Amino acid sequence: MQTILNFLIRHNHWFLFALLMGISFVLIVSFNNYQNAVFFTSANRVAGNLFSMVTDVESYFGLQGENETLKEHNRLLIEELDRTRNELAALQDSASLEKHANAVNNGFYYTTARVVNNSLNRIDNYITIDKGLSDGVDSEMGVFNDKGVVGIVYQSSENYSIVIPLLNSKSNINCRIKGSDSFCALQWDGSDTRYSYLVDLPRYSAFEMGDTVVTSGFSSIFPADLPVGRICNLEDAEDGLFYRAKVELFVDFSAVTTLFVVGNDGKHEQSQLENSIGKR
Amino acid sequence: MTRNTFIRLRNFVLLSLVQVLIFSQIHLFGYATAYIYIIFILKLPRHTTRNELLIWSFLFGLTVDIFCNTPGINAAAATVVGFVRNHVLAAFTQKGIADDFIPGARSLQWGRYIVYSLICTSIFFTVLFLLEMFTVTSPLMLLTGVLSSTLLTMLFVTVIEFFSHAR
Repeated sequence: MQTILNFLIRHNHWFLFALLMGISFVLIVSFNNYQNAVFFTSANRVAGNLFSMVTDVESYFGLQGENETLKEHNRLLIEELDRTRNELAALQDSASLEKHANAVNNGFYYTTARVVNNSLNRIDNYITIDKGLSDGVDSEMGVFNDKGVVGIVYQSSENYSIVIPLLNSKSNINCRIKGSDSFCALQWDGSDTRYSYLVDLPRYSAFEMGDTVVTSGFSSIFPADLPVGRICNLEDAEDGLFYRAKVELFVDFSAVTTLFVVGNDGKHEQSQLENSIGKR
Repeated sequence: MTRNTFIRLRNFVLLSLVQVLIFSQIHLFGYATAYIYIIFILKLPRHTTRNELLIWSFLFGLTVDIFCNTPGINAAAATVVGFVRNHVLAAFTQKGIADDFIPGARSLQWGRYIVYSLICTSIFFTVLFLLEMFTVTSPLMLLTGVLSSTLLTMLFVTVIEFFSHAR
């Protein structure tokens, strides 16, 4: 008996160890299972106060950045307000001018053309059409057919023009998803002639599979809302910041025959203005 | 004795604050966190009784747990270190020295002190990560966590020892 007692006393740290480990495990298990273990977390008063004190102090260091963010936000809001006011004024003005604006067709004029040469199997495909400078067709005019957008005129001779179709790695057309306000560029990856890709599609843009992609109308090459294709697949861009949407093109490029070429009266004015900003 | 206890309490509070407010907030590469409060256990005098060691370790672990929302995990890991510390220290103490001393670069020499700390730290993190990953048992994740945290903690243990030694 004495030996056993001695043994137990001599090794009492084993019991203490077992006890403390037991408490630890009870804490681990109970924290995972029950809400009443709050006392042993930072939700208790001492820890909570300490952390809120620290946060109070830390928030002062962030004030500079916070201020900048607010200023920037303010600036954006002012711009937004300005824009809205202008739009409102423009709307009020245009109500009376609408008939007139429709009559001149927003400055766009159209020419029909026939395809004389076409390629599909290269990375940089070109279409040749039978209209040129003498018909009023010049470079940087839009080309489309009854299905949708085909491409942009690249170079014109007296009677012929070369069109960069969507199926060209140089092709870069500013598009919009119908029913949303996000703009993005349409680019071809050089593989399947039926599909092209919307790159740099912002993640916040609201759209669904099957939504129609149309021209944005910003570029002065195409009028707004010409159909381009239908979104059929969605994936992350390489950088993970944007979406990359696969677009099923409306135009069957193996069967383009008759095309419309669209010119814009105001184009030179607009591009001159835009270039003057670029040069500065 | 009272003075020693006072100093020990002061170190306790200071180290907990530094641990909770600074070191526990840093998660290097997503998994490496330095638990420098282990210095407190490493630096308890050689002749601290086992029971004392156990209780101090447990309390310190529990304190850190309360602030880090990991109830029981640090307490258990620290208790294990407190339990084995005297055995590890004995292995690095020169034979024939009976004096009480505080483990450190001065009393143990640099090499032995670092190995002693390294053994204790790696035991601590092994237990810590085993408990933390109770359900998610991916051996590779466990290993990277233990290794990176041990190295990071050892870095701070060495730097702190260097400065207290130089003083």
